[in-house]
Amino acid sequence: MNAKLDSAPIGVAVRISRIDWDAMSHDEGRRLREFGLMEGIEITPLHRGSLFSRDPLALSVGRMQVIIRARQAAMIEVAPTAS
Amino acid sequence: MTAAIPTIALVGNPNAGKSSLFNALTGARQKIANYPGVTVERKAGHASFADGRPMSLVDLPGSYSLTPASPDEAVTRDVVLGQQAGERRPDALVVVVDAANLDNHLCFALELIALGLPTVVALNMLDLAERDGLTLDPAILSRELGVPVVPTVAVRKRGLTDLLAAVDGAILSHQTQASALPASPPSDAALHQRAKAIARAATLSETPVRRWTQRVDAVLLHPVAGFLILLGLMFVMFQGVYAWSEAPIGWIEGGIAALQGAVDTALPDGFLRGLIIEGILGGVGSVIVFLPQILILFLFILLLEATGYMTRAAFLMDGIMAKVGLSGRGFIPLLSSFACAVPGIMATRAIPDAKDRLTTILIAPLMTCSARLPVYTLIIGAFIPNTNVGGSPVGLQGLVLFGLYLSGIVGALVVALVLRRTVAKGTAAGFMMEMPRYQWPRLRDVGIALWQRAWIFLRRAGTIIFVTTIALWLLLSYPKVPTASSDSQVDYSVAGRIASGLEVVVAPIGFNHDIALALIPAMAAREVAVSALATANAIDAGDDEEAMAQSLSERLQGRWSIATALAFLAWFVFAPQCISTIAITRRETNGWKWPLFMVGYLFLLAYAAAGITYWTAVAFGLG
Repeated sequence: MNAKLDSAPIGVAVRISRIDWDAMSHDEGRRLREFGLMEGIEITPLHRGSLFSRDPLALSVGRMQVIIRARQAAMIEVAPTAS
Repeated sequence: MTAAIPTIALVGNPNAGKSSLFNALTGARQKIANYPGVTVERKAGHASFADGRPMSLVDLPGSYSLTPASPDEAVTRDVVLGQQAGERRPDALVVVVDAANLDNHLCFALELIALGLPTVVALNMLDLAERDGLTLDPAILSRELGVPVVPTVAVRKRGLTDLLAAVDGAILSHQTQASALPASPPSDAALHQRAKAIARAATLSETPVRRWTQRVDAVLLHPVAGFLILLGLMFVMFQGVYAWSEAPIGWIEGGIAALQGAVDTALPDGFLRGLIIEGILGGVGSVIVFLPQILILFLFILLLEATGYMTRAAFLMDGIMAKVGLSGRGFIPLLSSFACAVPGIMATRAIPDAKDRLTTILIAPLMTCSARLPVYTLIIGAFIPNTNVGGSPVGLQGLVLFGLYLSGIVGALVVALVLRRTVAKGTAAGFMMEMPRYQWPRLRDVGIALWQRAWIFLRRAGTIIFVTTIALWLLLSYPKVPTASSDSQVDYSVAGRIASGLEVVVAPIGFNHDIALALIPAMAAREVAVSALATANAIDAGDDEEAMAQSLSERLQGRWSIATALAFLAWFVFAPQCISTIAITRRETNGWKWPLFMVGYLFLLAYAAAGITYWTAVAFGLG
């Protein structure tokens, strides 16, 4: 079952199944790849927003933590990890 | 090898500990300038090989790849490719990678190694990686990458000698010609795959990521608690600026008074004595007094940056900033603007979106910079009673100061909202950032940065403020008032007459002749307003012993109403009185259009805010 990263539950590891590269700008896509966000990579959403906002989203990729906006997260499809 | 001193460039990802390594290698002997034509900071310094031969070191802006996403990253690419105007291509590269983040940092390292320059990889922050449960083998990493790998712990100065020896060896043994960018660079995915494979090969053992940072983040990034902690931290910061600076300010004031006394007895009465006592010591001295407060504010900001908290603050603020069309990325430049808008505006270069960046530049001067502190402190000290609010430990003076900061912030948010809907319309800004790990701030790195800030402030006091103060003193002292006249010296002088003209414009918002006089030289820098008041006060006191004995704030209390004082404070929340800020805005926006727009809208706001404050205060009987 695939879901979008912007609605994935916090603290549960998921695997990136698809990224809609066409929906984002060239620079956005490149920065995502520089952060190591690519198909097949395992990530864990960690924190979402503050006060009344659901933006942004902090997630862990390997040993790194990165911050992206919900808008970009909505372009990333994730699936439960195999285990 | 040429006889020239070899240039070695430090290059790597953001958060790889590059600056700490640079500090450890060069010490405090650093030169900070700009690359010609662009406003990217160039940090250079000197070090020497084991046998004493000198080398020159350049710290390049942190980048993720050779494909730049910002002006900073473009400089990094141009320097390593030898395409940066006025900069020799480096003789060797030191690629700094974070030992705990090899997967990612090796991507850029692989790109750099492929350039063919003599290259050494500094496997940095190895202690933190070990603390995180990672065991790495530098020998395997070196074999896989094909270049020397030296483990370093920059903050403990470990591995530095080995690193420089390896650089020396790499330059000597270098055979192949350095190349330009490869014709067909490998794709991001291929690069990532290789980086990952190498990282895995070099990793001997690995335990899962430590949980304690996540537990800390669970509190500090909590949607409500985290936000309140951020507000609390900022509140403590502003109270601290006020409370902890009292003693050192007293020492500086004492020192200046002693100097004035010494000059008074050493020199005969005349032009020179007046210039030194009233002009130089009175004017410049009244600005230097604020060094302690500026240093405390910078210390807080540097500590927040060094610990890694600043990015958390950006995360917490992103939601609010998104509502006015900005991004959390703008929070860091704006927070820096609390110290000074000039580095703040320069820091906006990290914002990729042009309209987002322009808006951030235009509102940066609304953040209460340290140059306003002298003005605020003087007026608050003179007119706001030094009591606590209703028996609580919160001081009323500190609370007023906090209110002034808050007015600037709220004003900035409203202005941003308007600008993003009018002149700076554009798509929603993005926000993509790496979150650094928590670290203990290194005393040495914070110390060096603090010293650099103090030096910039003192240099300003010694140049811009020095010159404007002396010019003002001359304009205030001449022509001499005839003994028969009932005018005061200040009213009779050239400056006094100019001020009388300006007074007509600012009288409706409650400003008196003193203020009109202070506003003109304060165009150079806000804090000059204080030295202008001090100089005018000293000249007016003249030889009147009793008037001389009064402090500046005592004199002001006698001459200004509370409503006027409050209006003066409100004016400085908005007024764009700083030549440096206008100049940097022109440079960063490539033209006069936006700096003129900025000056115009800020003066309008300042006039309106001062007016409303004055009329309201008068209505409450404070006139």
